[in-house]
This record gives sequence, structure tokens and C-alpha cells, in this order.
Amino acid sequence: MRGADGQEAARSDVLMFVGCVSLAVIALALPRSWALSVASGLRQTALRPIVALEARAERDRRARFALAGVEHTSDSLSILAQQQAALRRENETLRGLAGVRAALTHPGVSAEVLHRPTVTDSRMLLLDVGAADGVQMFDPVVTADGLIGSIVTTSAHNASALTWANPDFAASAITSDGSVSGFIHPSTSGVGLNTILELQGIPLRDSLANGTIVMTAGSGGTYPRGIPIGRIVGIGREVNGYDRIYRVIPFAAPGDASHVIVLTSPRDSLYLKLVRPGPPK
Amino acid sequence: MRVFRPGDRRRRGRSADVLRVGFVLLVLLGFEFYLVPSLVESPHGMPDFLILILLLLAIREKPGLGALTGFAIGLVIDVLTPAHFGAGILASVLVGWGAAYGRGIFFADNLLVNAALFFIGTWVRDVLMLLVSGTPVRSLPIEILLWAPLQALSTAVVGVVIVVVFRDWLAIRIER
Repeated sequence: MRGADGQEAARSDVLMFVGCVSLAVIALALPRSWALSVASGLRQTALRPIVALEARAERDRRARFALAGVEHTSDSLSILAQQQAALRRENETLRGLAGVRAALTHPGVSAEVLHRPTVTDSRMLLLDVGAADGVQMFDPVVTADGLIGSIVTTSAHNASALTWANPDFAASAITSDGSVSGFIHPSTSGVGLNTILELQGIPLRDSLANGTIVMTAGSGGTYPRGIPIGRIVGIGREVNGYDRIYRVIPFAAPGDASHVIVLTSPRDSLYLKLVRPGPPK
Repeated sequence: MRVFRPGDRRRRGRSADVLRVGFVLLVLLGFEFYLVPSLVESPHGMPDFLILILLLLAIREKPGLGALTGFAIGLVIDVLTPAHFGAGILASVLVGWGAAYGRGIFFADNLLVNAALFFIGTWVRDVLMLLVSGTPVRSLPIEILLWAPLQALSTAVVGVVIVVVFRDWLAIRIER
């Protein structure tokens, strides 16, 4: 009798195990949009207190340890703004005289990154801002150092950002002098302990020197032109004898970023309609 | 005068155990979601209290319940770090089931065995997550041989401290 009970228990254990593994496999096979929706739904409902607690912890940490740095940055920016006020006025006057439209400015929303101690943390970041703060899908995410990635899901009070460390990341890129453009992807290799990026689609005739700065090109409608991505550190490999791939060390590290800025619309893109300037006055 | 039967006493002892273990888990959740994020900026190599919770629960449960606990904790991991939904669930289910199944093989009320369990459990979970979430092949050696063991080590050290501090509360009762 006892043996039969034991067998029954063992059978139910196996059933539960198989059931859990099957559900995990189904979760793995879900299309990304469905999976992100499920995750977002759970974050808004069952796990909302946990997300709120983490956001509170992040704010407390900054208040405790980063206050001096924030004050220093604020003072530096105030001085810079004072010094550049005359320059800005002069620039606006000249633009008005020449009838040139003003460059688009990118309003941003500050966000705290809710890091998790998991090995895949740097590929997708959870932010403590959401649709209620004006954040939308595909909004670019940056730090003071450079590009981090873009928003892939939003809920009312938080959002997930796909970073450049994610194998699915891609962006159009251009060198800082605007002469050479290509596409940037995460590299399958790394330099030392760091994950790096690859600048692809560069013709052999366009040689790029080490140290060249790479920025977003503005094509595609996600990333505005001119966000710093990284610096070229060498040639990765040549493809088919006519293309060259360069290795790029990114400026911003998603795994270490605790505070980011989400750039909200309008996005400056080659595909957006340019505002035709009025006749010169 | 009320007479307590041995069954009553066992039941009361069991519910007291559940309360004590529940309290420890609540402390660990507080560490995971408030204390550590409010003190540390970068999560690299930091102890993972969720895997500690999974292992502490799994070695008290039957393998089926261990897998179910792994599913719940893996779901939390995947929802909060949605790099590849399902990777954390699968890894945690396998680790939870393995830890519960292993209870019959090793004696978990030994400090060294506990330390080894925390280290191996964390490392295996990390490796499984890396493999399932499509980490580029060339990045795998560094992740598997450096970052994952580092986190496993810190988790094991914290786990041992927790077990020492709450030794009486976390002891597995033989009569069960």
C-alpha cells in the first residue's frame, strides 16, 4: 500500500516537472511581442509592488550616494548654459535671417534603470518610466556617454529597453564627419571582457582610422541623427572581398547605467518630412 | 484538560517551521528588491537572492513542488529581466527540480554541502540561462567561466551566512 502511495507521489512529481518544463518551452517559443506583452502585463499587476519597491530603492541609492555628483553636474551645466546664451541668441538670429529651420530638439524623460543580478541583465533594461510619462515604443534611450538602445514595450509606469548588447539590436550609423555610413550590430566576439559592436557594410575604399567616432545616422525613424555610439578600434574582418567590418567600442555600458534619458518624439529621421523653410526675410 | 496527540504536535511544529522559513524568505526578498539595489549600483557578480530562495525551498520539498517553485521564481526573473522570455523559467525549473531531487542523495543540513549546493545551483542556472537565451558563442567562455562563477561564489557566501544566522530555523526536520 505504502509502495503504491510512493509510486503515486513519484508519478505526480514527474507530471509536475514535465508540465513546468512544457510551459517553459512554450514561453520560450512565444513570439517576442506576445512574450513582452505577458511580461508587461505581469509587471503591471502581480509584480507591481516589487517593481515599485525596486524603483524606490534606486531613487534612495541615488539620493544617498549620487547627490554630490548630481550637484556638480548641475553647477557645470548652469555655467555652460550661461556661457552659451549669447551664442544661442546669435545662432537664432542668423537662422532667422537665412531662413534655415532650427535643428530638432529632443525632449527627454529621465529614468532609473532597475537592474537585476542576472547574466542577461544588460541585454534588456527595465526602466521606471512608462506611457504615463510620455514614453512610447521605439523611443531612443541614451546616457550622457552615448546610445543605450530603444524602448520595446511600455506599460503605464515602466518600460523595457532593448540595448545594443542584445543580439537583435541594429541601427544605422555614420562617422562623426558624416563621410561614411553603415549599420551597427552587436559583435559575436568581444575585446577582453567587454561586448563590442560591429560597423558593417563599409566598402573597402572607405578606410576608417582607429579612434573614429561613430554616431547614429538617423535612418529608419528610431534613432535621431548624431547620438554617439562608440569609437572604432580596428578592422574585424572583410566580407566577400568588397565589404569591411569594423569593431567599435561603445561609449555607454548598459550593464552599468543606473540613470538614462528616454528621448521622446519628435524624432529626427531621414524618413520624416522636413519642414520647408519660409522665404528669407 | 486538553490532551495533545503526537499528530497535533507535529502539525503545530510544521506550521511553526513554515512561519520561520517564510520569515527568512521575506528577509531575502527585502534584500533582493530593496536593500541591495539601494546600496549597489552595478549588479555584476552580486548575490542572487531569488536563486537562494529557490534552493532553500526546493531542498524542503518534493521534486514536483521544487519544479513548481522554480517555475514561479523563473517567471519573476523573466518578467523583471525580459532578455529572453522563458529562459529563466526553464533554468529555474531544472535547478529547482534538481535540488529537490538531490535532497534524497545528499544530506542538506551540512554547511559545506549547503555552500556547494548554492554555488552549483547558481552557476548551473546562469549557464542554462546563457545557453537558452542565445548568447553569442564567443562570449560564452567569459560568461560561463568568469561572471557566472563570480555570482555563484557571492551567492554561496551569502547563502552560508543566511544558513548560519538562521540555522535553527532552516534546519530540515528529520521526522518529516
